[in-house]
Amino acid sequence: MVQERRILYEHLDVPDINTFDVFRQYDGYKRFEKAINEYQPDDISKMVMDSGLKGRGGAGFSTGLKWSFVPKDIKPCYLCCNADESEPGTFSNRYVLERNPHLLIEGILICCYAMGIETTYVYIRGEFTLGKKMLDAAIAEASAKGYLGKNILGTGLDVDIYTHPGAGAYICGEETGLIESLEGKRGQPRNKPPFPAVEGVFKKPTVVQNVETLCNLPFIVGNGVEWYTQMGPTYGDARFDPPKPDPNTGTKLYCISGDVNKPGVYELDLGLTCTELIEVAGGLRGEEVKAVIPGGSSAPILTHYELDTRLDFTSLTLAKSMLGSGGIIVMNETRNIVDCLLNIMKFYAHESCGQCTPCRWGTPWVRDIVQRIADGKGRQSTITRPKFGIAENGRWGDTGETEEIYEDLDLLESVANNIANVDTMTWNTICVFGIAVSWPAVSYMRKFRPEFEACIREGKLVTLSVAEATMKPEENYAYQQRIIPREME
Amino acid sequence: MSDEIIQIETPFQFTEENRLEFDKLMGRYPVKEAAMLPTLHLAQKQEGYISPAVMRYVAELLEVSLMKVKDVVTFYPMFFEEPVGQYVIRVCHTLPCALRDCKVVLEHLKTKLNTDVAAETDLAKGTTSDGRFTLMKVECLASCDVAPVIMINDDLHRNLTPEKVDEILDNLE
Ligand SMILES: Cc1cc2nc3c(=O)[nH]c(=O)nc-3n(C[C@H](O)[C@H](O)[C@H](O)COP(=O)(O)O)c2cc1C
Ligand code: SF4
Ligand code: FES
Repeated sequence: MVQERRILYEHLDVPDINTFDVFRQYDGYKRFEKAINEYQPDDISKMVMDSGLKGRGGAGFSTGLKWSFVPKDIKPCYLCCNADESEPGTFSNRYVLERNPHLLIEGILICCYAMGIETTYVYIRGEFTLGKKMLDAAIAEASAKGYLGKNILGTGLDVDIYTHPGAGAYICGEETGLIESLEGKRGQPRNKPPFPAVEGVFKKPTVVQNVETLCNLPFIVGNGVEWYTQMGPTYGDARFDPPKPDPNTGTKLYCISGDVNKPGVYELDLGLTCTELIEVAGGLRGEEVKAVIPGGSSAPILTHYELDTRLDFTSLTLAKSMLGSGGIIVMNETRNIVDCLLNIMKFYAHESCGQCTPCRWGTPWVRDIVQRIADGKGRQSTITRPKFGIAENGRWGDTGETEEIYEDLDLLESVANNIANVDTMTWNTICVFGIAVSWPAVSYMRKFRPEFEACIREGKLVTLSVAEATMKPEENYAYQQRIIPREME
Repeated sequence: MSDEIIQIETPFQFTEENRLEFDKLMGRYPVKEAAMLPTLHLAQKQEGYISPAVMRYVAELLEVSLMKVKDVVTFYPMFFEEPVGQYVIRVCHTLPCALRDCKVVLEHLKTKLNTDVAAETDLAKGTTSDGRFTLMKVECLASCDVAPVIMINDDLHRNLTPEKVDEILDNLE
């Protein structure tokens, strides 16, 4: 049985940990003191780089690398802490804000010290009224104790933290959308480049970092890089030739919801498999796993064939999915994938900010197609065509059989791929919201095609058994690649 | 001028307390416009919704055009452009909550309050005739581990069943 390794969440349940005095008893702010007393700012940046810490907000970009892009000579520089947690299936930041806000403040202080930042905005989603209240109280307390404000602990360091409430728009979680929203405008993402690290909020260099990422900093400084890098696997990243060492260090706050017996946040080393994770969360509620969403609703779905996939940044990327925000949604055999996709597409159609035509029109279009299929009105053509698949020679080609044409499925894939093409990973939109729409749409449809076909054929929502509903991985892979890879032959 | 097109019903002004709160906000940002969201939140708390008068007032305070304020108000779902009930009930209906039967909770609320669900452009549709409740659907509230969840004004209610909903509504005064 896998054990939880609580680091960020270790003291979460301690009574009154949200007060300065109790937090202090558990090493609170001592790691910040260590940082300013023992290290130069550049040493901290180097430690973060060496630790291999990757952003926990969604993109999984190396934090140390992001910091290195910030020009040193342009001041002021800002830190925006992204606490706009709105990705469906994600709820780990909320607990930090509500129960242990001083930990976030300590992380912010370390980041500010390393980067020479004097002003931090914490962008909290509007619905987190309790989280904002707790963080505001903690900020006031820390200021009163001399850990925030001017001349912190007599070192000449100035740091101010302000909370900034959002107002219910998912897209404000995207870093440039967040910046626009912070400037008092509509939260519509900006074209990149320039990246926020060069030109962000108020046209100044800006570091945008997720709550969980910042909460890792005190532990990296306090316990050292060596301790931190022991957790989690290192791979030779197969996307590079020769393979580049790609660390997935530290723990992750996995948020598990859906059909498990004990949903919740579990802090575990990166690199556990899906099966292990479901076990940690009290096992499956139901008989069989039908599907698992590994990284918030934007991530491509995993089938029951893929439950051995390790849930870390590299492994999931290689599995053509992503760890994203670490929101894992489990579905059992009673769930209908068409229905689930419809729910997710309604979400995206509602949340598109409306700047780019492919996204503004494409997303509701995809939603309408899925709605039609779910209503049993999915369109099927009366003619047939040659069936392409794994042919006799073992390659992708004409199998000599014929197949029925499901117009709506072709249309679904085509519309989704014109918002953002999931095979070439190119998008026709300003922000990667486009990918977040077409990734689930195309992956659900490809991996559970028999269920979609059944709904169209029978003119109603039909739920197939797990084995019937799922495409075999080799067929899927062949379809995506249009060739048979050697290891699968 | 666009100012004249919008009819002003009741004038609006921050209370003394809120004015102090607003002055505090002003010290936080290098440009006034950046205080837009917190200012609108403050105004909505006082007035209940963002009326045309509120928009005018905020535009003056932040020294931006009325259009800019309107632009922002229409973008964010949390700002209401028409009056809402005393209690705003937000029912989460995104996937993790849907997997835990949020539909049952929503249907129960609909029959109990005898109202429909508000549309973003038509809040009156989801408001009870006595003006006590407004029922609306929202996206994931970041509490999927305790799904299904609803928010009543600022409070989150977890692991709901129809019985629990009854109990919570009965406890509202
Ligand atoms: C559509 C969209 C929504 C996002 N939502 C969030 C969010 O709610 N919280 C978050 O921390 N990051 C979110 N991100 C990721 C941010 O853009 C950004 O990568 C992140 O805040 C960077 O911080 P990190 O490096 O610490 O992860 C979102 C990205 C996209 C494209
Ligand atoms: S991709 Fe969609 S969400 Fe992103 S900027 Fe374009 S319209 Fe807005
Ligand atoms: S889906 Fe309802 S709280 Fe996340």
